[in-house]
Amino acid sequence: MPFVMETKGIDELLRKLEKTEGAARGIAAQALYEGAGVVADEISKKAAGLKTKRVKFPMRDGQRMPSPEEKAIVTGQGAAGIAKFKFNGTTVDTSIGYSRSGYATAPWNGKQVPIAKIANAINHGTSFMKKQPFIRQAVSQSAGRAQEAIEEKIRELVDKELSD
Amino acid sequence: MSEEYEALVEALKNTGIPFAEDGWSTSPEGEYGVISLEFEAGALDGDDRKTMRAWEGSIDVFYRQKSRRAAILAAVEDVLDEICGASWHLESHQHEDETGLYHAEWVYQVEE
Repeated sequence: MPFVMETKGIDELLRKLEKTEGAARGIAAQALYEGAGVVADEISKKAAGLKTKRVKFPMRDGQRMPSPEEKAIVTGQGAAGIAKFKFNGTTVDTSIGYSRSGYATAPWNGKQVPIAKIANAINHGTSFMKKQPFIRQAVSQSAGRAQEAIEEKIRELVDKELSD
Repeated sequence: MSEEYEALVEALKNTGIPFAEDGWSTSPEGEYGVISLEFEAGALDGDDRKTMRAWEGSIDVFYRQKSRRAAILAAVEDVLDEICGASWHLESHQHEDETGLYHAEWVYQVEE
């Protein structure tokens, strides 16, 4: 006589795991949003600390640090934006920054300037403006916390799926 | 100061590109580079404890001739390969409309 093992608990667990697999896309997106929020908040915190003193060296005309106006434009955006999520098979990705923040009227010449361009010039520097890598610094220093936030959200949502 | 950083500065100054260390003493009219050591890159965990220890910095090269691109990238990246191993990347490569200069920026990490 063949040995048969019946375990209703395993069947139930498998059913729930299949259900969770179907919900994976939503779980991944919600978790990514949590992590992206940590990084975006850190960028905003660093933006608030930007130096605004103009510096002109005797021999280098036009070299300066961001003016109070440039800082106000960037910090006026509040938190850095989180882009629309892109799903590709089993992965989901996004980007964080000022690319969808629109335009601002530059007080120094009255022209419309993309806010992303101002943030880019501050972050990377130019040949006439010293860099303040506030975005890179924020990403580098918040990466660990963002990863923890993502993992915590995944655990929370998977537990919820399994308990329903 | 990090020995790796000092070696990086020394090697970059030997590339033939006029490099300044975290300064602006080079001519914006000509080709020049700037080496900066910017911040401690160690990420903090939820208890504000450091989870890694390294310094992050950047190398910027400003140049006017597009034909110089390949030579400049090769010169800087050979040095980065030698000193930093895999701990570097090309962060951005942009054109400044205001000045007509090209701007290449690399980010590297060195040990304390």
